[in-house]
Amino acid sequence: MESAAPPSDQAQFFTALRRQFRFYRRTNRFYGLLGFVLLVSIAFLVVTLVENSNSGNAASYVASLLGAVPTFGIIICAFIGGDAIAMDFGSGTGYFMLVLPVRRSVLLLGRYVAACAVSFCLLLVVYATALLGASYFFGAGAIPWGTVAQSLGLALLYVLAVVATAFFFSSFFRSPAMSMVVTILILFLGFDIAQSIVSVAGVEPWFSILYAGDVITTVIVPVAHKTTTGMGRFHFTTFSPYIWEGAVIMLAYFVVFLGISLWIYQRKESKG
Amino acid sequence: MARIEVVNLSKSFSPSRPALVNANFRYEGSGAIGYLGPNGAGKTTTLKLLTGLLRPTSGEAAINDVNLVVDRKRALADVGAVIETPEPYPSQTVAEAIEMVAEFRTGRLDDVAGEIGDLNTKLELPPLTQLTGRLSKGQRQRVVIAAALVRDPKIIILDEPTTGLDPKERILIRNLLNDLKKDHLILMSSHLMQEVTEICDQVIFVNEGQILVRDTVENLADRFVARSVDAEFATPLSIDRIRALAPLVKDVVVVGERRFRISFDGTTSARAEILAGLVKLGPVLSYQSASLVLEDAYLSLIGGGVGLPPPPPSPN
Repeated sequence: MESAAPPSDQAQFFTALRRQFRFYRRTNRFYGLLGFVLLVSIAFLVVTLVENSNSGNAASYVASLLGAVPTFGIIICAFIGGDAIAMDFGSGTGYFMLVLPVRRSVLLLGRYVAACAVSFCLLLVVYATALLGASYFFGAGAIPWGTVAQSLGLALLYVLAVVATAFFFSSFFRSPAMSMVVTILILFLGFDIAQSIVSVAGVEPWFSILYAGDVITTVIVPVAHKTTTGMGRFHFTTFSPYIWEGAVIMLAYFVVFLGISLWIYQRKESKG
Repeated sequence: MARIEVVNLSKSFSPSRPALVNANFRYEGSGAIGYLGPNGAGKTTTLKLLTGLLRPTSGEAAINDVNLVVDRKRALADVGAVIETPEPYPSQTVAEAIEMVAEFRTGRLDDVAGEIGDLNTKLELPPLTQLTGRLSKGQRQRVVIAAALVRDPKIIILDEPTTGLDPKERILIRNLLNDLKKDHLILMSSHLMQEVTEICDQVIFVNEGQILVRDTVENLADRFVARSVDAEFATPLSIDRIRALAPLVKDVVVVGERRFRISFDGTTSARAEILAGLVKLGPVLSYQSASLVLEDAYLSLIGGGVGLPPPPPSPN
């Protein structure tokens, strides 16, 4: 017999996106992250106002606050997307959602775009604060709007990459909380430590998403690709990614980890 | 016509641990099928295979002729399911959780409010504006059953649907399922023989991953006739007068002032002959199986040697 046809994949994608966005927006973690980002951004604004330490020009001022975006991005994306797959296999949510006539890939993509949208909105708070401060100190006309827009584009790419990575890690855990914690530890501490180690060896940490995230600020205030400092026999080399290089690393993270996450999610079974 | 078909369906979680072995059944049209077996028998595994939550190791499961592995979305297009303990997003309200399912099923929300109103009447849902994360177990179970029924899917798959419900809620669900089975195909697993007896027309017994019996409740009643009956007389009666009905009667014990539990060999004709004999002894108020037919069938098939509880000691 012919079954009643469910809606198209496209229609179901928008249903998943809208419902998931609403879900994220109502969670305590969203308000916690919003409070955290607001607190740090406002603290930066207040300190620069009180100390009148405005970094000399608008570009440097904006870049100094946006320097926190890669770190904030990892924390935000891990908290928002770190349980995306785990929640369906570690709690009863999967038994509610996965028996519906909807492709798992559609469900996951809707969830992914919602997580990216929420994470990006939270990062926009940092941009808004930086631009507000720069307008106050230097006037809106002094702000390098073109490079700030490029930075915003790179920040969006960064969010796409980090959320994809968080989704990937979440596919290995049953506990949503454990998934979030491990994602933060690996992305934040793990990559930071690995970067420090390879820098001592003079190797460029091209594998690190945290490293790639530097382009969010270096697109506004360019930095030399390679800087070596030290005395006598001891040298320490720091790298800064080229803009194209950072974008390629982020794109690679996005494609590889989202692809693997989709593959795992479609095949994962509800055994518990 | 709604159709569920399982062909040589097997599932193993490890080579030494088959959860389901070569299961075969096919049901179509309407009615209620009870899926019975002890814990770990393979009931939930089967239902998970039928909803795409698990992939078969071998064999096929199809709904409305659509293989679950090939096209899960189309196979589940007309299915409402409650497997294990589903949880809607905790920050959704009751109404939103049901609406979301309706939207995924049909893409429309235009008439969903009325439908939720109907489900609210039938299932006595908690307040529709309450967050599902704050519901009790019983309330949440009623909400997920409502979500399974929204948009009126013709096939309903339920995994122990009354778990966690109080007696009133169980009656509510039982009445609802009895109503639905007239024009829906319901496959439900349960531990509660009473529930299955009252709802299901057909039953499947499964144990250690193997389907042991598939039949209608009536046929099972013939095959596994109750082996003891309770008889109540209008006036006191000596137990010896009933024992005198031997060899039809194997044993008699007093279970009340005028009530006796009579054991016999277990054929329908023996049961009828005993009744005829008892009527000659005095006015019989009631005469019924001391246990449910399905309970007897279950114990005969599954084994385990669990007998009936011992009757209270005789006052004589």
